Amino acid sequence: MHVLASAFSTETNFVTPLISGIANGSAYGLLGLGLVLLYKSNRIFNFAQGEFATIAAIVAYVFDRGTGWVPKAPYFLALALGVLASVLTAMLTERMVIRPLFNRPRVVLVVATIGVALLLIGVEGMLPYPQTASLRTISDVLNVRSYVTQVDHVAILDQDLAKFIALALLAVAAFVFFRFTPTGTAILAVSQDATAARVVGISVERISATTWAIAGLLGGIAGVLLAVPPSGSVTPGSITGLTLTVAFSAAVLGGMTSLPGAFVGGLLIGLIEAFANADQSFIPGLSSLPTAQAEVAVAIVLLVILLVRPRGLLGQEA
Amino acid sequence: MSVLEVRDITIRFGGLTAVDGLSLAVNEWEIVGLMGPNGAGKTTAFNCITGFYKADEGQVFYRGQDVTRLAPHRKAALGIARTFQNVGMVKSETVLENLLTAQHTKSGYGPFQALTGMTAVRQREKELAAHADAILELLGLTDVRDRPLGSLSYGTLKLLELGCALANDPDLLLLDEPSSGMGPEESHELGERLLALRRELGVTMLLIEHHVPLVAAVCDYVYVLNFGRLLAEGDPDHVRNHPEVVAAYLGAEVEESA
Amino acid sequence: MATGELLTPYDADAPGRRASLLGLATRGTAFLPVLALVLLLPRQSGDWTNDAIFAAIYAMVGLSMNVLVGYTGQISLGQQAFLGIGALTAANVVHTGTNAPDPFTFALGMVCAVAVSAGAAAVLGGIALRIRGLYLALVTLVFGAVTADAVFTIPSLNGNDAGVSAYRPTAIQTDYSYYIFAVAMVGVCLYVDVWIRRTKVGRGLIALRDNELVASSFGINVLGYKLLGFVLSGAMAGLAGGVFAFWSQEFSDKDFTATAGFNKALIFVVMVVVGGLGNRAGVVAAAAFFALLDPILSGIAHSTGWINYYTDHKAYISNIIGAVLLLQTLIFNPGGLGQVLRPFTRWFGGHPFSLHDEHGDAAAAALAGGSDVRA
Repeated sequence: MHVLASAFSTETNFVTPLISGIANGSAYGLLGLGLVLLYKSNRIFNFAQGEFATIAAIVAYVFDRGTGWVPKAPYFLALALGVLASVLTAMLTERMVIRPLFNRPRVVLVVATIGVALLLIGVEGMLPYPQTASLRTISDVLNVRSYVTQVDHVAILDQDLAKFIALALLAVAAFVFFRFTPTGTAILAVSQDATAARVVGISVERISATTWAIAGLLGGIAGVLLAVPPSGSVTPGSITGLTLTVAFSAAVLGGMTSLPGAFVGGLLIGLIEAFANADQSFIPGLSSLPTAQAEVAVAIVLLVILLVRPRGLLGQEA
Repeated sequence: MSVLEVRDITIRFGGLTAVDGLSLAVNEWEIVGLMGPNGAGKTTAFNCITGFYKADEGQVFYRGQDVTRLAPHRKAALGIARTFQNVGMVKSETVLENLLTAQHTKSGYGPFQALTGMTAVRQREKELAAHADAILELLGLTDVRDRPLGSLSYGTLKLLELGCALANDPDLLLLDEPSSGMGPEESHELGERLLALRRELGVTMLLIEHHVPLVAAVCDYVYVLNFGRLLAEGDPDHVRNHPEVVAAYLGAEVEESA
Repeated sequence: MATGELLTPYDADAPGRRASLLGLATRGTAFLPVLALVLLLPRQSGDWTNDAIFAAIYAMVGLSMNVLVGYTGQISLGQQAFLGIGALTAANVVHTGTNAPDPFTFALGMVCAVAVSAGAAAVLGGIALRIRGLYLALVTLVFGAVTADAVFTIPSLNGNDAGVSAYRPTAIQTDYSYYIFAVAMVGVCLYVDVWIRRTKVGRGLIALRDNELVASSFGINVLGYKLLGFVLSGAMAGLAGGVFAFWSQEFSDKDFTATAGFNKALIFVVMVVVGGLGNRAGVVAAAAFFALLDPILSGIAHSTGWINYYTDHKAYISNIIGAVLLLQTLIFNPGGLGQVLRPFTRWFGGHPFSLHDEHGDAAAAALAGGSDVRA
């Protein structure tokens, strides 16, 4: 903890990394929710989750602009259509790839999701739209100032606030869903013992489809919130390349089996990154490589958590 | 000196005491049975002897040497071989490759030496293959030499697993329910085979077994476990008529049929 | 105690492995076209020679993935890091400025590339021993990214961001002679792979891949062998990295950025699965295919007038081809390309020619289902 303390005591602005940390952390958490859901239910790491998000962003972008033969749709309808596209992609993935492989070792399923990610990146890249563009932000659309408030002369972008609120709401909703709804408990039952679940009359196929649809929904919401300026874009593979690995680390930190864990882990990793970036001496000996500091810090956190407490901060035993 | 001596081992899983102060001894040339109803802790005791579980208390001695804390592969190298309740072999390999794998500890060359492909390595490989062939012949399995395991019947696999355990020239053989899935006829044959193996190869054996006629036919001495504790011990006839053993088995059967 | 003495002696020649002189001659003749393809085709033009060297490098990486993923059953999404470490080491050890190194320095560079890469793999393997299952995939992924951003970017190792030159020794200065050298290095990896598979090394790795409990009851030191799998794999990838450095004649961190590395890591996984886990011929063929995909496709695009479209979309096109091949392999053909080639490779190996393959394939079995043995 003295590491953080030293960050506090320096002359560096403390508020800037705090706010950017929460903003980036929200992104990791949003992506992490879908990863946790699929780990919790299928015991797999879904490497295609980042591209589920990108698909949503691209479809939302295309409908928002109304390019080519695509009719222009109102902004929020375009976002909804984007999320729908992500849900459909996830369901198609489940039907075409996951279900035929369901009885194979988990590592085969993980390699298959890598294949799905590669395929989606490829297909997205072939689509005719400007691949470096970004989605409009909510404040653009509502034509309001782009920040909600200022803390210590640092603006909090309302898009970042939207990400944070969405993450908090989704984490709570997903938690409630698994705890209290019949479908949620059925998903958990199938994940623990598919045969027994089948015996008591649960359709394993339908549950699997539902799980992936929800994963698509979570990925889609993440996508339409992340692919906005200043840092986000609708470039194929960009979310997979920039956010997915860190989101995995966040999910592991929170505990791969805990949905609130994805929230906590996401924010923590976001903050660790932000403070590592802000403080040249965050990791002794790496001051010559300021860009690598955040990455190394996250890697260290990941390793420590895997070696010391593999079930993460909020995960369950086993 | 006993080949295997277990002194007061206790194994706990959380609040559950799976094995509670078990002591047993297996002497040279003996075939010793370990009986008990399901869940009595037999396999747990086995796993402790072979090193997969660490005993919370107590010690395991092999020919006078304390092997309690030795890793499983080190015990295998000492000459302790085991079989599994549900067939433990390398599923993706052929019969011959499994018998070669089972001779791992007596290959006589180092892993980096192996990669040079030098003459000594080739020569050893030929000898290992010959030994594997000899074991196949001994068990009457020469026909399936090059078959993948997936294509073999359960009975053949059980027999082959015994072959794998023998391939490493074991001194002590631990067999976990060798007759599981066998009919009376096959299990009688198995008994003959075990006696023949002892006669010809001089192996000492400890077997977990439910099948009473088999135990009666081959075992010199029997230990009966119930709820992790030693319930009775003695020669098979003595144990078979022991009132507590009868009660434990009948009790278990009543529960199962209820 | 000793069953060996009691059992009958053996017949030294296992049945089915000895080909007649005629058979040997036939196989030799049949192998000639393959040999001609490998040795003569790259001679046709400078571009082809360069592409062929690249294919040889990929073949070595494929074989290194084969040891780790195919035999040891450990997933790696960080293999490109070992390639980079090999290249970095070779360039920095040889480092002769603008002069060609003498053969001894060159050999030393290659040996160091192998050793340092193997050492790095041992470190990763040591961590991997304590991390179970799929989490290892994540750790290797992070390992790859951290190596790219925090090691390859160290100014004193990458020639202050300008690259470290790595000139070839005079004997293999021309592209074609260097290609022959690269093929010889592939040969070294193949030889090692053959002896992994033929000895207790491969049997131990495969046993622990299938079931660690069974492996240790067979006397295999599971932790030690897992580490050995990492080290052998890292060594082969390091050799590939050394060959890469002298191919591009420099080490530059720009060739090994985190983003490019991530894409490479995925392609490496794709090629070992498509080739057929545990099947060296299939893996080499698949690796060469993915290395040559771009030149072949751009050749086709040139002649059909699609070259501009292709140039704009080539990363995406190869992504789609790789992904489709990967998914169809996983779902319909778990043995991969190796399974398809097997009748031929078996025949070359001295067995009678037969389309029916009763030996099955380790890859198919490994991918088809986990083992269910419990202790």
